[in-house]
Amino acid sequence: MRISAIALKRRQWEPFAFATPALVLIAIVIVFPLAYSFYLSFQDFDLSVGPEHSFVGFRNYTEALFRDHRFVDSVWNTVVLIVPSLIGELLLGLGIALLLSRVVHGRPIITALLAIPAMVSPVMAAMAWRMMFGVKYGAINNMGRQLGLLDVYFDWFSSPVMSIVAVVLVEVWQNTPFMMLVLLAGLQSIPQELYESARVDGASPWQSFWHVTLPLLKFTMVVGVMIRMIDLTKLFGLIFVLTFGGPGGATETVAFNTYLVGFKDFRMSYAAALSYVIVLGVLILTLVFQAVQRRREARAA
Amino acid sequence: MSTLVSTRPSVAVRPGKRYRLRRRVGDALTYLGLAAALVFFLGPFFWIVTTSLKGNNDFFAFPPVWIPSEPSLAHYEGLFTRASGLRYFMNSLTISSMSMVSALVVSLPTAYAIARWRFGGGFLGTFLLVLRMLPAIALIIPVYLMYKQLGLTNSYFGLVMIYTVVYIPFAVWLLVGFLRDFPVEIEEAAMIDGCSRVGALVRVVVPIIAPGMAVVALFAFIATWNEFLFAVVLTGIETKTMMVLVTTYTSGGTDMFYGEASASVVLGVLPAFVVAFMLQRYLVKGLALGGTKG
Repeated sequence: MRISAIALKRRQWEPFAFATPALVLIAIVIVFPLAYSFYLSFQDFDLSVGPEHSFVGFRNYTEALFRDHRFVDSVWNTVVLIVPSLIGELLLGLGIALLLSRVVHGRPIITALLAIPAMVSPVMAAMAWRMMFGVKYGAINNMGRQLGLLDVYFDWFSSPVMSIVAVVLVEVWQNTPFMMLVLLAGLQSIPQELYESARVDGASPWQSFWHVTLPLLKFTMVVGVMIRMIDLTKLFGLIFVLTFGGPGGATETVAFNTYLVGFKDFRMSYAAALSYVIVLGVLILTLVFQAVQRRREARAA
Repeated sequence: MSTLVSTRPSVAVRPGKRYRLRRRVGDALTYLGLAAALVFFLGPFFWIVTTSLKGNNDFFAFPPVWIPSEPSLAHYEGLFTRASGLRYFMNSLTISSMSMVSALVVSLPTAYAIARWRFGGGFLGTFLLVLRMLPAIALIIPVYLMYKQLGLTNSYFGLVMIYTVVYIPFAVWLLVGFLRDFPVEIEEAAMIDGCSRVGALVRVVVPIIAPGMAVVALFAFIATWNEFLFAVVLTGIETKTMMVLVTTYTSGGTDMFYGEASASVVLGVLPAFVVAFMLQRYLVKGLALGGTKG
C-alpha cells in the first residue's frame, strides 16, 4: 500500500479523533453491558423475587450444564433443527445455482427475484408461513383438499415432528437464496477453460461436475455452511412466531429458551449465564471451523 | 454465458443435430427447474398479497379462491384505523431511518481512520468481526436492565442507539472497502488546495463514494426494519415496530385474524422487495456479512 506524503504528515491525534465516536458507543452499548452481564452470571439476581442479589459463584453455570434438562434439551433441539436445515439449504442452493449458471437470458432478474426471501425478516417469513399452515384457511390445507391429497383439515403444529419439519421448511425457504447467491458467485469464478479441456478429454457433463465443479466449489460451500450454522445458533424470531417453542418445547432453541428464562421467568442472572454458555458454544464452533479451513488450505498448498 | 454447455464449437463435440436437440432439451429443463424454484420462493408472497385483498366471500369459499374476484383494500383500512397499524408503520420507518443515518455518520470516520491510517492495526478489524458474530441474546439481558434503570425502554432513542451500535461492524467493514478503492491523490489535491482533512472528506470523498454509502445505508435500513429481539423486549405500546405488531396476531390461535395479519405482513416485507432490486449487485457481499441482520 502506498503511503502518501500527507498521510505521513498527519497529526497523531487525528485517527483517534475519527474513530472515537464509534469506539465510545461500542464501549457503552456493547462492552460495558457484556461485562455487567458476566458479573450478573455469578449472582442470583431474580427480578420476580426482588432487586437484592449476592454472589453465588459458578452455581448458575453448573445448573445450566448438569441440572437444567430444559436447557440441555434446547441444545439438542437446536442441533435437530440446524442439521437438516443446512443439508436442505446446501443441496437446494447448489441445484438452483447450477441451473442459474446455465441461463443465458434474464439471469439478473431471476436471481434478484429468488433472493427476496433472504431479505425479509424471519418474523415476517414465519408469519406468512404460519398463515399458510393455518388449519381452516391456510393455503396448504386448502390446496391439499382441492387436489384431493388431504381429506381432513390437518393441524401441522399439533405434532412435534411436523412442527420441526415446518420450522426446517421455513428456514430452508428463507435462507436457500443466500446459499444460492454464494454458490453462484463461486461457480462463476471457476475458469471456463477447465470445462473445455475436460470435454476435450472426453468427460461427460456428470464427470466434469464431479471432478471439476465440486472440488473447486468445496471451499465456497464450507464458508456458506459455516456462516449459516453460526446464524442458525441464534434462531429466535422464526420460532417466536411459528411455534413459540411448542408443542411441548419440541422446537425450543437455545436463544428462545434464554429469552423465556430472562423475560418470562425474569431470572436475569441465570439468563445471563445461559447467554454466556451460548457465546462460548458459538466461539468454539467458529474456531473449529477456522481450524478445519486452515488445514484444508495447508493441504491444498 | 453458459458453463456446462458452451456455444463455441469445440473439438470433441461436433455441433450435430443430436447435440443441438440435447442442448434444447437441457435449456428447457433448466428454465422449468427455475420456474419451479420461483413458484416455491415467491408463492407465499403471492398468497399473502391476494389474501390481504380478499373480501369475506372469497376468503371463506371452498374450493378456495386463489385470485380475489373483487379485490378491496378494506383490510388495509382496518389495519390502519382499528389496529393503529399506521402508527406502528411510522414507528418502523422513523426508527429505521434514524438508525440508518446515525450508523452511517458514526461509521464513516472510523472506516476512514482504518482505510487511510490503518488505525488499530489488524486488531480493530478482528474486534469488529467478533462483535458481528456475537449473539444478540447475550446483549439483550444487560441492555434491558440498563435501559430500565435509565428509563430508555419504550423510547425511539434507546432503540436507535442499540441499532446504530450493533450495525457499526457491518457498516465499517463495507465502507473500508469503498474508501480503499478511492484514489488518495484526489484527496491530496484537495488538501494541497487548502482543504482541511474533514473538508476533503465531506466535500470530495463523500460525493464520490456516495453510491457505496447508499448501499450501506439501504442494508442498514433493512436490517433495522427486520430486527425483532431488541424490538420486542425494548419497545412499549407507543414505540412498537411492525415486527412486534405482526406477532400480536399469533395470539388468536390457529384461526387468527387473516385479513389484517396478511396486510401487515405485506407492509412488513415491502422494503425488502424494493431493496432487493436496488441492491442486486451487492446482495452476495451484503448478505454474506450479515447485512440484513441487526
